[in-house]
Amino acid sequence: MTLAWRAGLMGMVFFALLAVLSLRMWQLQVAEGQEYAERAESNQVGFAPTPAPRGEIRDANGVLLAGTRPALAAVVDAKILSEEDEPQLVAQLSALLGLSVEEVQMFIDDVQARGDRVPIVSDLTDQEALFITEHGENFPGVEVEPQPIRTYPLGELASDIVGFIGLPQPADVEGGAEPTVLLGRAGLEKEYDSQLQGTPGQIVYRFDARRQGDVLSEDVPTPGNTLFLTIDTELQRVVEESLAEGLQLSRDLYEDPDCVPGSADDGGDPRCPVRAAGVVMDVTTGAVLAMASVPTYDPNIFIGGVSQAELDALPDGVFNNFAIQGEYAPASTYKAVTYFTAYEEGMPPYSATNLEEEILCSKELRLPFLGEGSQQVFRNWTGRDDGLQNIHRAFTRSCNVYFWEIAAQIWNEKQGTDDESILQDWARDFGFGEPTSIDLPFERKGLVPDRALFELWKEETPQRLDPARLSYASPWLGGDLMNAALGQGEVLVTPLQLANAYAAMVNGGSLWEPYVVDHIENLDGDVVADHEPTLLRSIDVSPQTVANFRRDMQQVVNDPAGTAYSAFEEFGDNVELVGGKTGTAEIIKETEEQEGVTTALFAAVAPVNQPRYVVVVVIERGGSGGRIAAPTARPILQYLLNGANAVTPIDAGEDAD
Amino acid sequence: MALTAERTEPISILQRERPLRPDLMLVLSFLALSAIGIVMVYTATAPALELAGADTATTMRRHAIFVMIGVAVFIVASLIDQRALLSLTPIAYLGSLVALFLVLTPLGTEFNGARRWVDIGPLPFQPSEFAKIAVVLALAALLGNGTAGKVRWDHIARAIVLVGLPAVLIFRQPDLGTMLVFGFVAVAMLFASGTTWRQLAFLVIAATVGAVGIFRAGALRTFQIQRLTAFLDPSEDLAASALYNQIQSEIAIGSGGFFGKGLGQGTQTNLSFVPEQESDFIFTAVGEQLGFIGGTIVIALFGVLVWRVLVAAVNGRDRFGQLVAVGVAGMLMFHVFVNIGMTMRLVPVTGLPLPFMSAGGTAFIAFSLALGMAHSVWMRRSPVPGE
Repeated sequence: MTLAWRAGLMGMVFFALLAVLSLRMWQLQVAEGQEYAERAESNQVGFAPTPAPRGEIRDANGVLLAGTRPALAAVVDAKILSEEDEPQLVAQLSALLGLSVEEVQMFIDDVQARGDRVPIVSDLTDQEALFITEHGENFPGVEVEPQPIRTYPLGELASDIVGFIGLPQPADVEGGAEPTVLLGRAGLEKEYDSQLQGTPGQIVYRFDARRQGDVLSEDVPTPGNTLFLTIDTELQRVVEESLAEGLQLSRDLYEDPDCVPGSADDGGDPRCPVRAAGVVMDVTTGAVLAMASVPTYDPNIFIGGVSQAELDALPDGVFNNFAIQGEYAPASTYKAVTYFTAYEEGMPPYSATNLEEEILCSKELRLPFLGEGSQQVFRNWTGRDDGLQNIHRAFTRSCNVYFWEIAAQIWNEKQGTDDESILQDWARDFGFGEPTSIDLPFERKGLVPDRALFELWKEETPQRLDPARLSYASPWLGGDLMNAALGQGEVLVTPLQLANAYAAMVNGGSLWEPYVVDHIENLDGDVVADHEPTLLRSIDVSPQTVANFRRDMQQVVNDPAGTAYSAFEEFGDNVELVGGKTGTAEIIKETEEQEGVTTALFAAVAPVNQPRYVVVVVIERGGSGGRIAAPTARPILQYLLNGANAVTPIDAGEDAD
Repeated sequence: MALTAERTEPISILQRERPLRPDLMLVLSFLALSAIGIVMVYTATAPALELAGADTATTMRRHAIFVMIGVAVFIVASLIDQRALLSLTPIAYLGSLVALFLVLTPLGTEFNGARRWVDIGPLPFQPSEFAKIAVVLALAALLGNGTAGKVRWDHIARAIVLVGLPAVLIFRQPDLGTMLVFGFVAVAMLFASGTTWRQLAFLVIAATVGAVGIFRAGALRTFQIQRLTAFLDPSEDLAASALYNQIQSEIAIGSGGFFGKGLGQGTQTNLSFVPEQESDFIFTAVGEQLGFIGGTIVIALFGVLVWRVLVAAVNGRDRFGQLVAVGVAGMLMFHVFVNIGMTMRLVPVTGLPLPFMSAGGTAFIAFSLALGMAHSVWMRRSPVPGE
C-alpha cells in the first residue's frame, strides 16, 4: 500500500472525526437547542424579593403602636454560600456579632435547609454593615441589604393586642407562607397579617458567573395597610398600670410578696397571685377601648432575634392575652345570669313566692331534695346569717343562699324537663360558652355545663368526672346546678365574655361582637375597610329587669353594705354613676390548716344610668373581689368618669365576695 | 556533441524549475480561520474588559499582533526548502528538549497549577508547542530515511525513544494534552510510513496501556483527575466540580441554535459564564453567537485545511517532506477534534488550544510554522504525484 493510499485512509478517518463533531453540534443546537436556550436564560436572570414595609398599627387617636423603619440587614443566601465556606463564615459572623459559634451554626444550618435568603441580623449597626461590606471576601454568601424593620415605639403597652411578628413555623410554610417573609405570630399582627403584609417587590437581575449583575427591572414593594384601632392608648395605659398595681397589691398582701407563681412541681408557689387581665368595652357598639394582660412583654424583643435564655427568663404565659385566652370561674359575677333568669323566667327562691319577698340569708343552706351524690349543705361566704334579703339586697350583698335557692327552685320545678337548662340557656344567650368572635387570634370559648355536657363526658372522657358520679343514672346532679348558678363548678368564662355579657345586660339586651380594629387605611389614606358594629343577637329582656339590674349594680358600689363599697369610698365625684359586681372564685379549697386561694373578679358599668362603659378586671389567685378586684378597677373608672387627674392609688378594699 | 553535452546537463526533475505555486485553498482557509478567531476573541473578552473599565479591544489587539507574526512565520516557513529543514531537525529537536527542561527549572513559571511557560525576553514562551513540531520533524527524519513502504520493529523502538524523551519532560510539567498529541502524531506518521496491521495494533494498544498507566500511577495532578472523573460522572455538584466549564460551554453552544444569537449577543460567553472562552473554549463563542451555521463553517474550514495538508503529503517530493505533512495533518486534526469535542462535552478537558483561533501567542505561531512547513512541501511538490 502506497503512502497515497494510506494518506487517503487517514483522510477518511479525519473526515469521520469532523462529522462526529458536526453531528454533536446538530444535536446540541438544533435537536435540543430549545432546552439549552432555556437553560441559558435561567442561568443569567436572578430574582430577589424586596420585603414590603408592614402596615402600621395606630390607636383611636392615631398614636403609633407598631411601625417600620429602614435598617440594614445581613442576609445569608443559601444559593451562594457553599459548604466549604461555611466554617469560615460561622467564625467570622460569631466574632463580629458576639454570638456563640453554636448559635450561628444552628442558624446557618437552618438557612441551608430552607435553601433561602434569611437575614441573620436584621438591624446592623453602621460599623457592622461597613465591616461586612468592606470585608466581603470573609463573609461568603452574606449580603448587606436595606430592609424595613418592625418597631413598637410604646414597647409593652398594648402588646397583647398588637402582638408580634416572626419567621413562619413549618406549618405556616406548608400552608403556603413564604419561608423567609416575617409574618404575624400573635395579636393583630397575626389576625390582620394579610392587610399588614403589603406586596413584596421584586428585583430582576441579570448577572454573570461571578454574580456581578445589573438590575433589569425593579418592582417597588407596596407597604401594608394601616390599622386604626378602637383602643385609646391613654386608657390602655391606665388599665395596664392598674392591673400591675392590683397584682402587686395582692402579692403584698400575700405572706411572701416575692413569691414566684406556678405549680409546686416546677418550684413555683401555687398560692402566689399569678397575673391580672382586664377589658374596657363600649356597651353601645362592642368596641374594645382597652384590653390588657399583665405581666406582659415588649414585642421589640423579637426584632433582631431573641435568645432562648431571654425567653426562659420571662414569666409563664407572658405571650398569652388572658383577657381572651384566660378561662376563669366567674363566681359571683355570674349571679347576674341567675338574676336575669330569675326575673325573665319568673323563678323566685325556693322558699319565697316572688323576687321582692325577703328570705333569710342564712349562714348555711340545707337542700335535702337535691338527691344522691349532691352536696346537701351550702355555706354562705359571710360565715354568719346576713339578715332578711330580697333579690336587690341579695345582689348587693352577694348572698349565695338567695341565688342557690333560685337554682333549687329551677331544679325542683324543671329537672328532667325540656327546659331544665334555662339558666344555661340564658348564659348562652349572653354569649357564654362560645367565642365572642373578636378580631384577635387564639380566643377561648369558656364552658357552660349542663346535663348534656356531663353525659357526653361520661360517654367520651369519663376521667373528667368524679368517679362517684358515674354510678348514677345521670352524672348531672342538683348540686351541679347550684354551683352553676354561682359561676362555680365547671363554669368557665373569659374576661372578654364577662364584659360582653354585662354590656348586653346593661344596654337592654344587645349582644355586640367585640372588635379592636375600627378601620383600615391604605398608603394614600383611603379607608379600605370600615368596621360597622355587629349585633351578635338581640336578647329579649324586659326594660324593668334591666333597670333593676342597673340599680342593684349601683348599690353594690354605693350602698355601705355593698360588697364593693369600701373599694370605692375614695372614688371622688360621680361615684353614684358607677355600678359593679364582685366575684371571688375558689381555686384551692379552704381547710382547717390553710386559707383557700381565690381568683378576684369585678365587673363594672358606668355611667350606670346611661351605660357607656363596661370594665372587667380579673386577678388570678389574687384574693377576693371586694378586696382586690374592685380596688383595681377603681382607677380605671375614675379615669373614665373624671379624667386622668382623678386617678388615685389602689388600696385594698374590704374582704367581700 | 552539443546534444550529448545537453544530455550531460539534464534537467533534473528533482530540481525546482517551475515558480513556487502556493495552495490558494490552504492559504485562504488559514486566513479565514485566523480572521474569525480575531473577531471571536474580541466578542469573548470585550464585556469583561468593559466591566473592568479597560479598553475593550485590549486582548483582541494583542492577539491580532500574534496573528500578524504568525502569518509572517507561515510565509517564511513556506519558502524554506524541506531539505534545509532536514538539516535543522537535530538542532530543533535538541533545542526543544533544552527548552522543556528549562520549564522545570526556576526559569519556568506556573500558571493554573501547571508549569508550561518559560520567561524569556518580553513574552512568556511555551516550549511544548514547539516541541510538537520538533517531534514531527524528528520522526519524519527517522522514518524518511530508507524505509520506503516498510517499517521495521527497530524503527518503532527508535520512534518511541524519540517521542519518549520530550514526553517525559512534558509529563513533569504536567501537560497531558501535549503527550496525547505526541502519541497520535507518532501513530499517524508510523502508519503513513507503512506499518503492518500488526504493528499498528501494537502501537494503539501500547498507547492505550500507557495512558491508563499514567492515570493509575497517580502521576496526574488533582485537577487533571477531576476533569476526567467529572467527565465520566457528571452527578457531582456542578459549580464546584471541574465539569462546570464544560456544562456551561455545552449550554452556550446549545443555546446558540441554528443561526446563533448574533455577534456580541451571546449571553453565556459575553456574561463570562464560560471560563477561558477566549483561549481553550473559543469554539463556545462561535457556537453560541454564530450557531450551527457558523460552527459548521469553522469545522469545514478545518476540514479543507487538513485535506490540503494531506494532499501536500501525497504530492511531496521526498519522503521526509511527505511525512512532515502527514505529521502536521495529524497534529492539526487531533487538536481540532479534542478541542471542539471538549467544548461540546464529547471528550474530557485536556487544555489543547484550537488551532488558529484560540488566543495565545506561542500556539498560534507554532501552528503557523507547522502549516507553513506543510505548505512548503506542496509548493515544492513532485510533478509526478506519488514520485
